[in-house]
Amino acid sequence: MAQKKKKNKNNDSAAVNSKLIRKPIERCFLLFLAPTLAAFTIGFIYPFLKGFYLSFCKFQTTSNAEFIGIGNYINALHDASFVHAFWYTALYAVVSLLLINIIAFIIAYFLTQGIKGANIFRTVFFMPNLIGGIVLGYIWSMIFNGILSRYGTSILMETKFGFWGLIILMCWQQIGYMMIIYIAGLQSVPQDMMEAAKIDGASRLQTLIHITIPNVMPSITICMFLSLTNAFKLFDQNLALTGGQPFQFNPDGSVVKTTEMLALNIYNTFYGQNTMARGTAQAKAVIFFVLVAVISVAQLTATRKKEVQQ
Amino acid sequence: MSGLSLQHIKKVYPNGYEAVQDFNLDIEDKEFIIFVGPSGCGKSTTLRMIAGLEEISSGDLYIDGKRMNDVEPKDRDIAMVFQSYALYPHMTVRENMAFSLKIKKTPKDEIDKAVNEAAKILDLEELMDRKPKALSGGQRQRVAMGRAIVRHPKVFLMDEPLSNLDAKLRGQMRVEISKLHQRLGATIIYVTHDQTEAMTLGTRIVVMSKGKVEQIDTPQNLYNYPINMFVAGFIGSPQMNFLNATVCVDGNDTYLQLGEEKIYIPERKAKVLKEKDYVGKEVVLGIRPEDIYTDEESVQKYSKSSIHSEIRVYELLGAEVCLHFDYQNKVMTARVEADTPYRNGDEIAFAFDPEKIHIFDKDTEVTITN
Repeated sequence: MAQKKKKNKNNDSAAVNSKLIRKPIERCFLLFLAPTLAAFTIGFIYPFLKGFYLSFCKFQTTSNAEFIGIGNYINALHDASFVHAFWYTALYAVVSLLLINIIAFIIAYFLTQGIKGANIFRTVFFMPNLIGGIVLGYIWSMIFNGILSRYGTSILMETKFGFWGLIILMCWQQIGYMMIIYIAGLQSVPQDMMEAAKIDGASRLQTLIHITIPNVMPSITICMFLSLTNAFKLFDQNLALTGGQPFQFNPDGSVVKTTEMLALNIYNTFYGQNTMARGTAQAKAVIFFVLVAVISVAQLTATRKKEVQQ
Repeated sequence: MSGLSLQHIKKVYPNGYEAVQDFNLDIEDKEFIIFVGPSGCGKSTTLRMIAGLEEISSGDLYIDGKRMNDVEPKDRDIAMVFQSYALYPHMTVRENMAFSLKIKKTPKDEIDKAVNEAAKILDLEELMDRKPKALSGGQRQRVAMGRAIVRHPKVFLMDEPLSNLDAKLRGQMRVEISKLHQRLGATIIYVTHDQTEAMTLGTRIVVMSKGKVEQIDTPQNLYNYPINMFVAGFIGSPQMNFLNATVCVDGNDTYLQLGEEKIYIPERKAKVLKEKDYVGKEVVLGIRPEDIYTDEESVQKYSKSSIHSEIRVYELLGAEVCLHFDYQNKVMTARVEADTPYRNGDEIAFAFDPEKIHIFDKDTEVTITN
């Protein structure tokens, strides 16, 4: 007890100034917390919970919702366009994840080898990222259609054109951004570690594989996370480039927009002609949220394990 | 035999800066060579040129008689220990040590044998499965050594390997490195700015300044017979005291006039001064702190080579005392026995051992006599 008292006394004397400030702040912490908490609650928590609730409701306006249980989820999972959008998005995510990250890493690697004009290249590669998604979509649709018209076709004529068009567009836009992150990672690898590898007899490729890549794992983690979540959430570019076209009409009367991704599918369901399907759109949004969260957490966990501390 | 020869080695950077100027050195097998000098003197650059991490602008580098200028670092048969240790953070101690052998595609049992042997020498056996972040500074340093040892290189290059350690650990590791040198019988080139490390470890020391080699000699010779004021001032701690003096002759006696006081110098040194025509000229007197005495017996013994001043700072170092005093507007230091009765403010005589006086040319700073 006496020892504790003595310890407290020591702490008191050492932290007298900070305590003078800390105590009143502690007493009215709610006052300091309130603005942020209020903004977060109004802007995020309430809409999120409300959205979750609405996914179990039949509604046209949010104020007029009727609870119907898991019906919306059943409808969503039976919707051929949603299932198609899911697989289409998944395929797009995998291909874009690989291409964007591999190309961005290669460019970053070469730009950190002390080549002349590296800064100019960095700026140029980064610039596409400054252009908005819708604008990019329209610009690239013009470019693709300009090229494809020579072969008597257009980007809206075939699913594979739309798919690869979107891949090219997103590579063009995102490689520069990921490159900047990889450059930062590559530059943080200590130079003498690379020299040690050189003396140890490692070739350039061996150094890259055994030393550089393991040491830029934090950058790889963040870039993979960003490209994966970006891929799943992609909307503007998808809307502007193909808008989901070409359409496929099924014998059962349903229509599948063959280049429609998940976010666009949810949007089209919600704001489509069938206003009674808004609950289904809401259920799709919840499924979408869970999907993106699970995939990104799994990816983060997997790559974080490979990160090293200096 | 792992001899090494540097002939007229130069390093000039693209901006024209000459980091190393005409470096010449022949290193015998099993020598422990130290490159020492202040920051920016070119010692690390020279080491990096030997390692192949820095291009040699001109001159020739031979290892075992083979010209190595254009040979890749991995083919020079050298190993290097870096200041920051440069351990691979994602590998365990074992993997760090085995990396170079793995790259060479050495059979696994040979790798294990070499790694275990090095681990035993460096007392790392308990730490083999740890990663560098879980090691202390001293342990990391030993792993860096181990990584070099497993390769059985012709030459070990060490770039300030102890400078990231605390003073106590540095002392311990110094002994370890010395033992390692004896045990491995390897040729070691060691860069440091710490002259204590240089003196205790090296069989020969290369003192460098501003890209130039000032002197290459054994530690004892560097200490006793410095070639110029830079070497005299750099080697030894606390550093040598310097005073401006005029060479005077009075009959058979030759003395150095320091303001109003005189320091008589022995016949041997006087003869050199006379021969080299320094009589009546200004020179610089150098005396090491440990060659200045304050005890009565010595003051009487060296009464003709004493000066008088007031003690400004009394600094107890434990086994000895440093007395700092002003003379000719310079701060002088005398290192005396710890039982000295003198304290701050005492006006006393400081007797110089005349045999230990060094005399330098004032303009060229080159030694006239030691």
